[in-house]
Amino acid sequence: MRKFLVILGAICLISSTLLAQSITLKGKIVDDQGLGVSFATVKLQRNNKGAVADENGNFSVQARVGDVLIISGVGIKTYQYNVDGASTTVRISVTKAAGALTEVVVTALGQSQSKAKIGYATQTFNTAAINKNGVTGALDGLEGKIAGADISNTGGPGSSTKVVLRGYGVIAGGNNQPLYVIDGVPLSDGIYQGSMNGTDGADYGNGMTNINPNDIESITVLKGTAASSLYGGLAKNGAIMITTKKGRAGKLKIEYSGSANFSKVGKLPDYQSEFGQGWGGVFVLDENGSWGPKLDGVVRPWGSIVDNSQLLKPFSAIKDPLRQFYTTGHEYNNSLALSGGTDVTRFYFSYGNVSSNGIVPENGNTQQRNTFSFRTNSNFGKFTFNTSLNYVGQDLKVPNTGQSNSSGGGVFESLLQIPVDLPIHDFRDINSKFFNVNNFFTPYAENPYFGLLENGNQQKLDRIFGNLDFGYKFTNNLSAEFRLGADITNARTFEWKNSAYAQPGSWVGPGPTNPEGFARTPDFGGITQGSDYYGIVNGDFIVKYNKDLTRDLSLDALVGANYYTTNQRSEATTVTNIVVPGFYNLSNTSAPPTTSDATFQRRREGLYGQVTLGYKNELFLTGNVRNDWSSTLPINSNSIFYPGANLSWVASQLFNSRTAVSFLKFRAAYGRTGSDPDPYLVLPQLGSGNITLPFGSLTTPFNGVSGYGIDNQIGNPSLKPIFTDEVEVGAEARFLKDRLGLDVSLYNRKTKGQIFPVPIAPSTGYTTLVQNLGTVSNKGIELTLNLKPIETRNFSWTLTYVFAKDWNKVLSLTGASQDPLLFGFASAIDAELRAVVGKTVASIYDGVPQKSPTGQIVVNPQTGFSIPNATPLDPFGQVKGYYGSALYNYTMGLTNTFTYKDFSLSASLDFRYGGVMFSQTANLDLFVGNGIATTYNDRRPYIIPNSVVAGANGTYTPNTTYIGASANGQSDQTYNAYSESNSFSASADAQRIIDRSFLKLRDVNLSYSLPRRWASKVSAASASLGVYGRNFLLWTPKTNVYVDPEATNLGNDLAGEYGELASTPLTKSYGVILKVVF
Amino acid sequence: MKIFNKYIVIGTCLLSAMFVDTGCKKTLNINQDPNFPTLAQGTPALVFPVGVLATTGKVGGDLAIVGGMWSQIFTQASLSQQYTDVDSYNLQNTDGFVDAPWDVMFSSGLKNYQYVITQADSLQDWNYYLLGTVMKAYTAEVLVDLYDQMPYSQALQGAAQLNPKFDDGYSIYTSLIASIDTALGKDFTASTVTAPGSQDLIFGGKMSSWVAFANTLKLKMYLRMINAHPDVATAGITTLINSGATFINASTGGASVTNFSDAPGLDNPLYEQNIRQLNTAVNLRASKTFVSWLESNADPRINYFFGSSAPIAINQGDFRSSDPTYPNAAVFVETAVDPVDFISVAESYFMQAEADVRYFGGTKAEGLYNQGVTAAFAATGNDASTFIAPGGAYAWGTEVEGGVTLQPIQQIIRQKWASFAFGCHGMEGFFEHNRTGYPEQSAVYSTSLNYIPGQWVVVKNSVLTPGLMPKRLVFPYDETSRNTNAPAIVPSTTAVWWGK
Repeated sequence: MRKFLVILGAICLISSTLLAQSITLKGKIVDDQGLGVSFATVKLQRNNKGAVADENGNFSVQARVGDVLIISGVGIKTYQYNVDGASTTVRISVTKAAGALTEVVVTALGQSQSKAKIGYATQTFNTAAINKNGVTGALDGLEGKIAGADISNTGGPGSSTKVVLRGYGVIAGGNNQPLYVIDGVPLSDGIYQGSMNGTDGADYGNGMTNINPNDIESITVLKGTAASSLYGGLAKNGAIMITTKKGRAGKLKIEYSGSANFSKVGKLPDYQSEFGQGWGGVFVLDENGSWGPKLDGVVRPWGSIVDNSQLLKPFSAIKDPLRQFYTTGHEYNNSLALSGGTDVTRFYFSYGNVSSNGIVPENGNTQQRNTFSFRTNSNFGKFTFNTSLNYVGQDLKVPNTGQSNSSGGGVFESLLQIPVDLPIHDFRDINSKFFNVNNFFTPYAENPYFGLLENGNQQKLDRIFGNLDFGYKFTNNLSAEFRLGADITNARTFEWKNSAYAQPGSWVGPGPTNPEGFARTPDFGGITQGSDYYGIVNGDFIVKYNKDLTRDLSLDALVGANYYTTNQRSEATTVTNIVVPGFYNLSNTSAPPTTSDATFQRRREGLYGQVTLGYKNELFLTGNVRNDWSSTLPINSNSIFYPGANLSWVASQLFNSRTAVSFLKFRAAYGRTGSDPDPYLVLPQLGSGNITLPFGSLTTPFNGVSGYGIDNQIGNPSLKPIFTDEVEVGAEARFLKDRLGLDVSLYNRKTKGQIFPVPIAPSTGYTTLVQNLGTVSNKGIELTLNLKPIETRNFSWTLTYVFAKDWNKVLSLTGASQDPLLFGFASAIDAELRAVVGKTVASIYDGVPQKSPTGQIVVNPQTGFSIPNATPLDPFGQVKGYYGSALYNYTMGLTNTFTYKDFSLSASLDFRYGGVMFSQTANLDLFVGNGIATTYNDRRPYIIPNSVVAGANGTYTPNTTYIGASANGQSDQTYNAYSESNSFSASADAQRIIDRSFLKLRDVNLSYSLPRRWASKVSAASASLGVYGRNFLLWTPKTNVYVDPEATNLGNDLAGEYGELASTPLTKSYGVILKVVF
Repeated sequence: MKIFNKYIVIGTCLLSAMFVDTGCKKTLNINQDPNFPTLAQGTPALVFPVGVLATTGKVGGDLAIVGGMWSQIFTQASLSQQYTDVDSYNLQNTDGFVDAPWDVMFSSGLKNYQYVITQADSLQDWNYYLLGTVMKAYTAEVLVDLYDQMPYSQALQGAAQLNPKFDDGYSIYTSLIASIDTALGKDFTASTVTAPGSQDLIFGGKMSSWVAFANTLKLKMYLRMINAHPDVATAGITTLINSGATFINASTGGASVTNFSDAPGLDNPLYEQNIRQLNTAVNLRASKTFVSWLESNADPRINYFFGSSAPIAINQGDFRSSDPTYPNAAVFVETAVDPVDFISVAESYFMQAEADVRYFGGTKAEGLYNQGVTAAFAATGNDASTFIAPGGAYAWGTEVEGGVTLQPIQQIIRQKWASFAFGCHGMEGFFEHNRTGYPEQSAVYSTSLNYIPGQWVVVKNSVLTPGLMPKRLVFPYDETSRNTNAPAIVPSTTAVWWGK
């Protein structure tokens, strides 16, 4: 750090001697509307020397009186300006070339660049597009609007957002999210303390989601490795470049934006309405399923018998029972910004507040977020100095999802186990004698309101990020920049579950009085206190040089150095068996606490350089190289080198501007990034002494005995980085005076040397070996079509259509396993997510029935159930069947915008087709008999269609054994209809694997900009009012009667593609938004 | 122009120099995981308990469920699902009950024991050398008995041998016995030995008990060979007993882990997985097989195991039935601090009794048998004296089953089976059935009027060929899919090498 400054100082001193003798002409190049033209070239006709204007059109050249300046650039008509010496400050107005593109994008390292010069695909969104519909997460407004970006929010206040650019390339480690960069500084996207393991998952959101979107000026998406390769391995999955709002010189500007958003629960499982509470066709008071008799509407007692009394209700289905459980969510998102300043120093200050209470009742999911930002931009002659300081304070409360454990929990699983005829909403009185811990109607599940009222997960997060940016312009051609950024998060997590012991002799207590004599397992209660610190420090020193080498040839070059380090510390203490109910302190336990303590540290140093050669503002060739040295690689081979190059040809520069083609550009790019592994995968070490059991574990220190075993993972002393190589080509064309625009990209990416702890034969003494083991290929096409069918003075209609398809394929895995398991359960839930050679990185496998050679299902003659397949079905020995890829086949989005005078109406559709997922909601629905499919054959005993019985010598005879004959001839076995056993459920599993396709109306927005004269009456410069709806229409294939396919509680990376484990449903919402600028 | 280039070059050089020379090596050398001790910090005392926990967790956990069901002590609750795959003999090669014991006992058990042995050898710490050797032999024997063959001579070598060849069970047994003999021959009085103390979860560091455990384990392994290698068994057992070797007895205490407490992760592994961490604690219910036998003998242990002197029981494996009595069937009683037996005191006496009957004329057999029954009763807090007294239900030589008086070996194994209900030890009952054929397999299901209480029945929902019972676990998928030298799957109905 100090060395950087020394070098910077040295360069400053040297350069001060280089000041020239002629006059300094400062100017600004503006277009016909007075807006600055970025990056125009300003040259002296006399000697071809000159300068390039900056992003805002400002330039400065050394000139003599009488000189002629030639102003040229992409998208402007060449202009000559005579230097008369009357003023040293000039304003030069140029004319835009028709249909040309003057767009500026932010590229790697935060460098602004004319879009015409770059040879790879980018897509940019401004603040209006991002914040149109009152979102609280910066990318939540862009779902379905970026070709090649798979964006989904997992639902609920503060929940995480998945962003995958150009498909999954990395198999292991949940490492497919893009790099988020804010004003040139990498940002943390971590998830803290969320035990996203599906059994008790609480989703506290990823780092990206707690940035205030109202602070953002624009977002540029660098989709490919070619675009982001200058960033190195951090950006192997592309980069999302965020530019924040800055102050502008002038009078104080006050911006207010406020939205109120109301949400309702979205898609819920469809319930059957023919059969009521019970099991096996018999009405049973305490059953948690709807396998009972046909509903007849007769008023009967139900639920527990307490004090010889019982509740009464008609035995009929309740309409849409689950919907009663959820409430209306409220979200208020307010943001106030003050900005202004002088030509020397500008400032921007903002305060944002999000106050949100989701659809989960009893305040089960709430978010309070306060954000402050303060930024300054100063110029002192040749010196520029920018600062940015941001604070995020968030208090988040989220519900448990997934399964319950011995401490308690499992709100949504309990909810799904309520028969179709019981009034869910009545259960909210958890102290009522019929619904309390002693007497809840079933011993098999808990009152879902208990889990909401007595349990909780809370995280308080403080985060500070910001940067200091020093720039010095030695000459018009040479400048240097030093930027130091940091992002520091402290998250304190508190999770509590009350104990619940039913009284002996009560309905579900020990010695239960319920008809089945089944006692509920007590909730022992538990408390977890956790603390996470995560810090990133990033420093860049960049020297930039640009020069017009000849009349036609220009040069832009930069070299730089980077230092990047992350530090993570996590501590957590858990106690179970709480003693005083309702008191949550770690001391309140009868059992010893368990603690965990983890530190992770990573350092990386890098050097990089980039050169862009331009020819006649028409052809641009950029080459870049970077070399990193990383602490997580073997110390003697810790260097990673990667190059990149891209070519841009603005072919329309050749055309007459009056042709139908207003702009045409071809581009081609190649890039490579090498990403270092996670820390600590190289050196051998001792490991945990914990022994995993089918449920729970034995843990060390064990009753006073300490123990560490030899680690079960073998580190790799010759570990190499993961290399991502990508080639992309594309074209951008605009026709008919920009009325029609088309942008196409084709890419071919290979992610090589995947780092994976490969499972190895346990007889080696170890279970995994860290290896670089193979290649994933992503090939794809991205298409963006812009159309303006109507454009008149008062009315316009614009249409944007995006399409993307990614062909994902695991080309090779050279390790011991060619189909590694990424997520799945050994027994109760069978579906598995695997990366399989020849298939995608997210392939879903599950049990299938044994088949005869003619394809008929083989059943057990005693039971009539199908026998699970046990013979290998593929070269890897899989006995489970392949159900399909979890990835979308293709995605598309369509946005229509209509404006009439000051009104604007827009609507966006998001369509994603293909892929399958596992649904635990479906699984439970079918298990408890609430699902519509459980009414198959009117629940009468039946023979599995087209099934056979295996005889001696490979003969097969037709099966005649009925499934599910019970007391009154009604079956309760449809759930397991095609299965022999729960732990290997054969094709019963097929019922739980559902099609992922959907079409969503993402948003509809009607906004009205108040006419200036009205706005000025309240002394406002501008004001607009909008109403919107988000996600309020969803279409799914007929077979998916269960969940919104975007739902998952397995995190925001590859494992999330497995599906959902009884997660919180997603929402639809409506709101109003007001924006006023003073 | 030129001058600028020079500064760029100089600047770049300076930066490069700074990073590469002064920076990289030192600042980047931070990749040793700070969250665990280094390999160099490992000691036998630190590593040994982890091995013992692995054996405890699997033998007393997963295998206690399979063993308890396959030796018909308890059965799956009706209309529930948790262990139906076990109780229908439907353990496929991907099943957790097939893979987890193999995975964990190799990686956390045998590997750590081997580390203890190797380290103790170089430190000449013969105490830990014996501890490691005996536990490795015990654990390896459980695996051989379950799976018939496994990698041994080429196993545990990590990346040096990713595809270890499988060795046959007999040669593994031979190697294990030889390794025990080597360990027993060491000098436990050497100055280099250390006292394991509480790091020894089995005997608290009492070396004389370890010697007894080693001898008893040898006896057990020789007895396993009586079908396959009767000559070796005969020679081994007579030599062992004639040498005056001590065996596990009332004063050494059983080879058991008892150091449990009622807290998650620190409790009995069967309780932890079947009660504490499962959302329902009532999956394991009284089996008609065991209950009918206890009842027919008015055995007081029935209260200990099922909390009632007349528990309602479920016919073994009849989990699909909606029989109205089944929901009230007695739950198998477990507590968080139940011990996990490796070799119980009762088991040791029964083995000695069998050896005496087979090789020494049986003169001491009655006394040893009575000590065995007494110890088995005592473990459950009951007194056996009236049962073993002449005329008692279990009196030596007069125990009757289905109207027929039991043969000596038959009687010993019958009582041994009953003793395995204690200490999460049902798996051993399954092995002994496969070795001796006792308790006998019933010709009829336990619902039949002709059913003889206590005889084993083929489970109601068996997926195997009618009449067959499992005799082993199939090779686990985790091994066969990753080890190119793994043999083809052998069905679970094929006997292991020592089986009958």
